Amino acid sequence: MADPVVLETTRPAPRSIGRSALLTLPLLLWALLMFSHAVDLRENAGRAAALLTCAFMVALFFLMVRTRRTYRWRRVFFVALGVLFPIGFIAQLYALRGSMSIPVERMLSGDTPFCFLAIPMLIVPAALTRTVIFPGSILPTASNPHSVATMIAVWFAATLVLGKAWCAFGCFFGGIEEGFAALPRKAKLRDLPPRLRWVPWSVLAAVVLLSAATFEPTYCMWLCPFKAVTEFPEVRSAQTAIQFAIFGMLFGGLVVVMPLLTRLRTQCTLLCPFGAFQSLFNKLTVFDVRIDRSRCTDCVACRRACPTLVLDEAAVTAGGPGISCMKCGACVDSCTKQAAVWHVKGTPIAARPETARLLFLYPAWSFATLFGGSIIAGSLAQLLRPLLH
Amino acid sequence: MPRLTSVLGYTGAALTALAALAGPFVLYGAFTQGIAAMGLRINPVYSGGPPAREITRPGYRIVVYRPVVPRAPFSFARSFVQLAWTPAGALPRRVEDAVDLDGDGRVDLVARFDVPSDAAAPLFLDVTPAGGRVLPLRHVSRGSFSALIARVGDRIVTRIPLAPR
Repeated sequence: MADPVVLETTRPAPRSIGRSALLTLPLLLWALLMFSHAVDLRENAGRAAALLTCAFMVALFFLMVRTRRTYRWRRVFFVALGVLFPIGFIAQLYALRGSMSIPVERMLSGDTPFCFLAIPMLIVPAALTRTVIFPGSILPTASNPHSVATMIAVWFAATLVLGKAWCAFGCFFGGIEEGFAALPRKAKLRDLPPRLRWVPWSVLAAVVLLSAATFEPTYCMWLCPFKAVTEFPEVRSAQTAIQFAIFGMLFGGLVVVMPLLTRLRTQCTLLCPFGAFQSLFNKLTVFDVRIDRSRCTDCVACRRACPTLVLDEAAVTAGGPGISCMKCGACVDSCTKQAAVWHVKGTPIAARPETARLLFLYPAWSFATLFGGSIIAGSLAQLLRPLLH
Repeated sequence: MPRLTSVLGYTGAALTALAALAGPFVLYGAFTQGIAAMGLRINPVYSGGPPAREITRPGYRIVVYRPVVPRAPFSFARSFVQLAWTPAGALPRRVEDAVDLDGDGRVDLVARFDVPSDAAAPLFLDVTPAGGRVLPLRHVSRGSFSALIARVGDRIVTRIPLAPR
């Protein structure tokens, strides 16, 4: 029997350009179909944004197929989404009302766009009173297309397809911290205790219980760092001033400074209750990442690459990262022994890892193109409008 | 058995791809309708609750909403009643209305506010209780969800805190 240490230590050769193009063709057709509806194609900015985003998404998929690597190219998309979402959103807010704060009038008329981060906090109050504790509207309206029902429907469909991979292919906030985490060459702060990855579960339990007790979306009101770069309640009292200060501090600390120091997605790792909630749905999907122990040399490259502390020594020994894995592909791409592999549940580990990867990537990238791609195209259109009007 | 689980696994993968393709055409719409069919409403603390009655005045109406009593065990919100004057464009420069909240023929409060011609100008509300159902308000603008006045479209919406019982 071969010594696992001397098994394949080289990376697989890239696919041929022709075969990669052929495998990309379904995604190209999908992207063309989606972007013909994603933005307003009657104006120059909309057409240019749709074309650019379509080319961007298809090119990244082509590169993922050709290089047989996932993480690097997914990160390019994800950071672009994280940068462009707040820019486009803020530009839209300023065009609409000249401010990032949500005026109380907008809350009273049910025009607050619904954010998926509020979903875990709605469940208990909805079950008890059949009401939704959010100042939005249940069904889409002309003034609020991002209604509760629409956003929950998109989230639920995405969750069936992606499970926790929502956090790596769908979340329009995660790219912000992933971008900051990608900036330094080396982490200044290393070896955070892996047990910290359970903190979001505690935050989830706390905000769900508090929301059930007060019928207020407590995380959105007090803890969401991304309020600092989207919209927040108008500062009109001491309470709203404190809330705004907390949003700013959490954003600065967990989304900017800590990722720069640790090269980790620290907000996802240490705070996000929605990420913990989403982990519960990882069981729904047939895709996961496994460690083939017969090839693993315990070199810890995968543990160092994991951006959310999900892979620790116990997880590697157990043969996989467990339910909190967001399937970003960092561990798989970092493993020179091809011990970390994409896997379809029910099949033998490492039987056809590349097939498993492609089977995962088609639905995941289709969703990313539709959801994140539409956001990127919309934001680009906002930015291009003054130039191409 | 391993062969069967493999077949099931790849079948699940194919179904996932189908679900991704069906998302924008079938699933989003179906799930939206499914959620709408659950009969959920926005919590009245945010929406103001359903309208209960209307009071007609010359040229405008006052919509009286059902009183909102927060049901949460540890709610920070106070009980309130929402009143909306509509259409805002037809209101006099100075509104002073005696309002009977429940239609029992007795005045429960007198509300007073100015209606500036500039729609963006701040509004201020004074409420004098009559009968002890509501709490008094002095020069209130938009301090809290249970005591406010705001122009929402073509309505001037007020929320008046209810007196504790």
